[in-house]
Amino acid sequence: MLEAKNLTKRYGSHTALNSLNLKIQPGEIFALLGQNGAGKTTTINLFLGFTEPTEGTASINGISVAEHPQEIKKYLAYIPETVMLYPNLTGLENLEYFSSLAGFDYSKKELGELLATAGLQSQAFGQRLAGYSKGMRQKVGIAIAVAKKAKVLLLDEPTSGLDPKASNEFSRTIRSLAENGTAILMATHDIFRAKEVANRIGIMKEGNMQSVIDASSISANELESLYLKTV
Amino acid sequence: MHFNFITIIARQEWASIFRSKIPLSLFTVLLFVSLLATFTGWQYVSKFNHQQKTAHHQVHDQWMNQPDRHPHRVAHYGYMVFREKSPLSFFDFGLDSYVGNAVFLEAHRQNTVNMSEAGFSNGMLRFGELSMAMVLQLLVPLFIIFIGFQTVAGLKQNGVLKIMLCQRASFLDILIGKTAGITGVVWILFLPLLLLCLIAGNLLIAGGINADALLRIMLLTILYALYFLIITMLVVTVSAMSKSSKNALMALVLIWMLFFIVIPKSAQTLGSSLHTAPDKIAFEQAIEADVSKQGDSHDPDDPHFLQLKAATLKKYGVDSIAALPVNYGALVMQEGETISSGIFNKHFDNLIGIYKSQNAVSSIHGFVDPYLAIRNLSMNLSGTDFDSFTAFQKQTEKYRFEKTKKLNEIHLTQIKYQNDSKQKVSAENWQKQPDFTFRPVPVSENLSAAGLSLAALLLWVAAGIGALTYVSSKRAYQL
Repeated sequence: MLEAKNLTKRYGSHTALNSLNLKIQPGEIFALLGQNGAGKTTTINLFLGFTEPTEGTASINGISVAEHPQEIKKYLAYIPETVMLYPNLTGLENLEYFSSLAGFDYSKKELGELLATAGLQSQAFGQRLAGYSKGMRQKVGIAIAVAKKAKVLLLDEPTSGLDPKASNEFSRTIRSLAENGTAILMATHDIFRAKEVANRIGIMKEGNMQSVIDASSISANELESLYLKTV
Repeated sequence: MHFNFITIIARQEWASIFRSKIPLSLFTVLLFVSLLATFTGWQYVSKFNHQQKTAHHQVHDQWMNQPDRHPHRVAHYGYMVFREKSPLSFFDFGLDSYVGNAVFLEAHRQNTVNMSEAGFSNGMLRFGELSMAMVLQLLVPLFIIFIGFQTVAGLKQNGVLKIMLCQRASFLDILIGKTAGITGVVWILFLPLLLLCLIAGNLLIAGGINADALLRIMLLTILYALYFLIITMLVVTVSAMSKSSKNALMALVLIWMLFFIVIPKSAQTLGSSLHTAPDKIAFEQAIEADVSKQGDSHDPDDPHFLQLKAATLKKYGVDSIAALPVNYGALVMQEGETISSGIFNKHFDNLIGIYKSQNAVSSIHGFVDPYLAIRNLSMNLSGTDFDSFTAFQKQTEKYRFEKTKKLNEIHLTQIKYQNDSKQKVSAENWQKQPDFTFRPVPVSENLSAAGLSLAALLLWVAAGIGALTYVSSKRAYQL
């Protein structure tokens, strides 16, 4: 569903991503771990089509992102580190707006159900986003992704700055999306969250994928030791 | 491009501008300034035209009440003609404040148009007057900058643009939608206001609206709509190219300074240094020199007039001036008038040519500065441009020449050569002469004179669309 073949991105003499080979199947969650500048966000940007690869290909559902940047939008959704959206609009209005930009025309009831699925309390639906906590905004971000019925979800540091409860709720929602067949690529600094939610974990350093681990085969402490040793 | 997504984005942009208090507060200020400018403009033009009318009636009464006189005394008594301001001059003062509106007409002399407001004002006029055109040309772009600088850069900065781009709308859809939303807001706030002020002002000043005025009002509204669209496209383009809202604002303020201060002043300076115009003294001296060269009617030994004398005597078959059936003195005066008027017209046309070349430099700069394009078009359509002024000057010289010629004809046929200065003719002779009425430049001529500016404005629209398309094609601007 989501594949990188020899995917490379260079900015002048600096190699941001070096020959990445990766395949993520439907229903799978792949977590990218690494320090700042390791190449996690570059990988996500290459899959989103925001930047062109220097070499190799990124493809979604067999379609090259670089060649068909508009076509692949049908299949993917994206949640950044901080979901800001429109602070003057309510959660419901934000969801309505973004889902209409994806070509969906949901009723108010359906929009409410989507927000509820993402874990947002119903009292917050009609409140302006300016008054939302970061966790609440992330939930609206999830609702936007769910509303799009995307087959691929790209997450860039989605739990950064969230309190443990919000982080836990977020992880549960992500897992349930994967159970429904969504392929998920998540860049994160949070080793324990990666271990908790992902099927496979990749550790990156200076643009190179150093190791890929089956999350079920390693404990959180072992993962932390490996990570520290790698970076 | 998806029209559906563009509409959704435009509606959202529109709604988010109206939800915010700052744009509406800014609009309230501009509304107040516009209404104040319209009111003071209307008051000023009405008062000015009333004064011109009163002065005209006074001058006309004095002319008509002259007793029976020698026609040459009447020619030297002179007549003053006035130009009332155009009905739309309340909207755009243009050059009106700097050029004269009255001229004293007399025999043998081509007086320049006098009595400009600048000549009777203190230095404050140098800083510009408050007109509605100034509000629309200079302040509305600032309003557009303030409501639009973060329209894309802000979304980029907080990551919303990425989420938007991950929906189905393309970057071009987003940029066009944003442009449509902001343009819609600006049009709905300012175009009805513009239309209302133009119609009300025209009605109050001219007492009605004729087809010419209606066409001018419609064209002004359409051209200002295009101007606002151009500024909006520019703002959205710069916002889309900027990494942050702060960068976008700084770039746009810099562009505002370039467009509204640096380029117009440079164009003016460049125009006058490339095409140097003679000063008033040099202009008059050149005319005098040419007149002396061609024939001086006051010089008894002037070869041209000696030739005229010989030809006249031959024509009437007499051997002395005293034996002529017509007054030779009047004939000489008319010949002198024809010569001086012809030379004046030649020099005046040259001078106008130089000024037009200077103005052309400014018009060409309209291709790099849309403000110069709309400024020229707005002046032209408001009848406060350079052509309207030169039309007045040319019409007055024509009127002066005809008036003097008629008086010379009376002199020629009704006054005998002997004891010339002791004779009088009936006042009815000049009472029958038609009065001067200024014929404003037709709208078609105005538009053709502003052809370069019109082309520049239309090219700016195309360039704006091109810029949005180009920026949307660059992935670097999406991050």
